[in-house]
Amino acid sequence: MSSSFDQMIVTEEWESTDLSLLETLDHVLNRGLVIAGEITISVADIDLIFVGLNVLVSSVETAHEVLRKRQTE
Amino acid sequence: MKLYAYCLVEDLDPFDATTRGISGAAVRALQIDELAVLVSDFNADSVAVTRENALDHAAVVRSVLDRTTPLPFRFGTLVTEQQLRSYITSRKPALQTRFAHVRGCVEMSVKIIREVSTDNEAPKHDEITSGTSFLEEKRRALLGSEQKATEATELSTWLHEQVDSLTRDERVVVRPSEKLVLAAAHLVERDKIPQYKEKLAAARKNRTELHFLFSGPWPPYSFANIELEFKTQFGVS
Repeated sequence: MSSSFDQMIVTEEWESTDLSLLETLDHVLNRGLVIAGEITISVADIDLIFVGLNVLVSSVETAHEVLRKRQTE
Repeated sequence: MKLYAYCLVEDLDPFDATTRGISGAAVRALQIDELAVLVSDFNADSVAVTRENALDHAAVVRSVLDRTTPLPFRFGTLVTEQQLRSYITSRKPALQTRFAHVRGCVEMSVKIIREVSTDNEAPKHDEITSGTSFLEEKRRALLGSEQKATEATELSTWLHEQVDSLTRDERVVVRPSEKLVLAAAHLVERDKIPQYKEKLAAARKNRTELHFLFSGPWPPYSFANIELEFKTQFGVS
């Protein structure tokens, strides 16, 4: 991968590793071409049940929580 | 034998098959008419939603982003080769239109979060002791929701104005009732990315009351779906 297309995660000093993963999940699980009736997934990871179904909200919740903790430190 | 489908590509010859897919499976390009689909053979009936599998899916789609702009399939797309051929053949005009729309572009993501003020917090349920206070609480909630919706819409317009000249398309989800105010996906031509980043960096400095999460470049996940066009074209509801 060339540097010009390295992933850019620009945040307010948040833990970019976690947010990068959540952003990836948000894109992969919630968007993209759908062949009707052909999304066949099974969920075995409890954490990802939450992330998968609510990833947009949860990623922001995570971000917000990190931000809040930093402000109180 | 089913196939796990990662993405559609229109010009990827030859395909470098070094990237491994879901569960370490080999990835190959299945040519269907003028298009190719990156697929892996898949023996199970469903795809487990795990961190590793999700990242594997993303890595395969991303592996071609330097060379072309793919149309990503959503995670968990398991099909037979026959189904895949039928899908592409029957939707070829819509897919070609979609490719033309995203060609030369990447997706950039912006999420905006607003600090939640606790000054006007509604009373808790056990603090509501009369019908009057109940109605006041309802009124407060209604007014608060309207205000949040107005703010979110204004913010959406503001963001649009900041980057409109640098984007080919956008998808915006406004969520005024949550901490997240809005989530926007911008389709940006590759050579405009530096200007786009500069513009957003400058815009962010003017809105210090907000928190921004920028990410990208992504394959155009938010601009890939053709179901709406297909329904419109064929009148399928």
